[in-house]
Amino acid sequence: MRNKDGLDEMQKGRRDTIGNQMFMFMFYALLIDSGLYGAGVRWLNYPANVMVIISACISIYLVRLIALHAYHPPKTQNRSVITLIIAIIVSIALAIALSMGHIPEKTNDNSGIILFIVSAAGLLGILIAAVIKKATSRKDEEDE
Amino acid sequence: MGKNLRVKSARAAKDMSQKDLAEAVGVARQTMNAIEKGDYNPSIKLCIAICKVLGKTLDQLFWEGEDHEK
Repeated sequence: MRNKDGLDEMQKGRRDTIGNQMFMFMFYALLIDSGLYGAGVRWLNYPANVMVIISACISIYLVRLIALHAYHPPKTQNRSVITLIIAIIVSIALAIALSMGHIPEKTNDNSGIILFIVSAAGLLGILIAAVIKKATSRKDEEDE
Repeated sequence: MGKNLRVKSARAAKDMSQKDLAEAVGVARQTMNAIEKGDYNPSIKLCIAICKVLGKTLDQLFWEGEDHEK
């Protein structure tokens, strides 16, 4: 019943649907952004604006996948949420510790803000997904 | 699509949980839950696997006629 990713048929169907939706969403978001850029509206300097849109789309995609149980194959679904929360806390602590350290030099290519946005979006996505997953699996158990 | 109570009762008759049945047919527990709730239409391959594990025929579990309701 599983494909090469280890996902079952329902998980694969859901993943495909969500993937298509998010791809179209990202396409239109980038199209609107380029239109705004051409019209002189610059909400963030290039390439940070593109990175924000891509990060937002990938975060929403991952959160939706995890919330609908379409991310982990059936065999690996029994992992503890506590491990995930500990990993998030350690990551945040590491990020704070690094930000307090010595910064060698300033650059003008927005690489700092891009890294920050990608990391923040990733952490936020994982946190939201963990909460949603917990809530939905509790609801499923009540239904059973 | 309504709930598939026949799968649920056949599973209960075999004293299996959704997790046990899901593991036996190689899908996630959420998939079995969705099938029983009528939220997901399984493929014929998965239907056959469920029937084999529960010792029933496709008609008994999945056919929507009055003859097979019991």
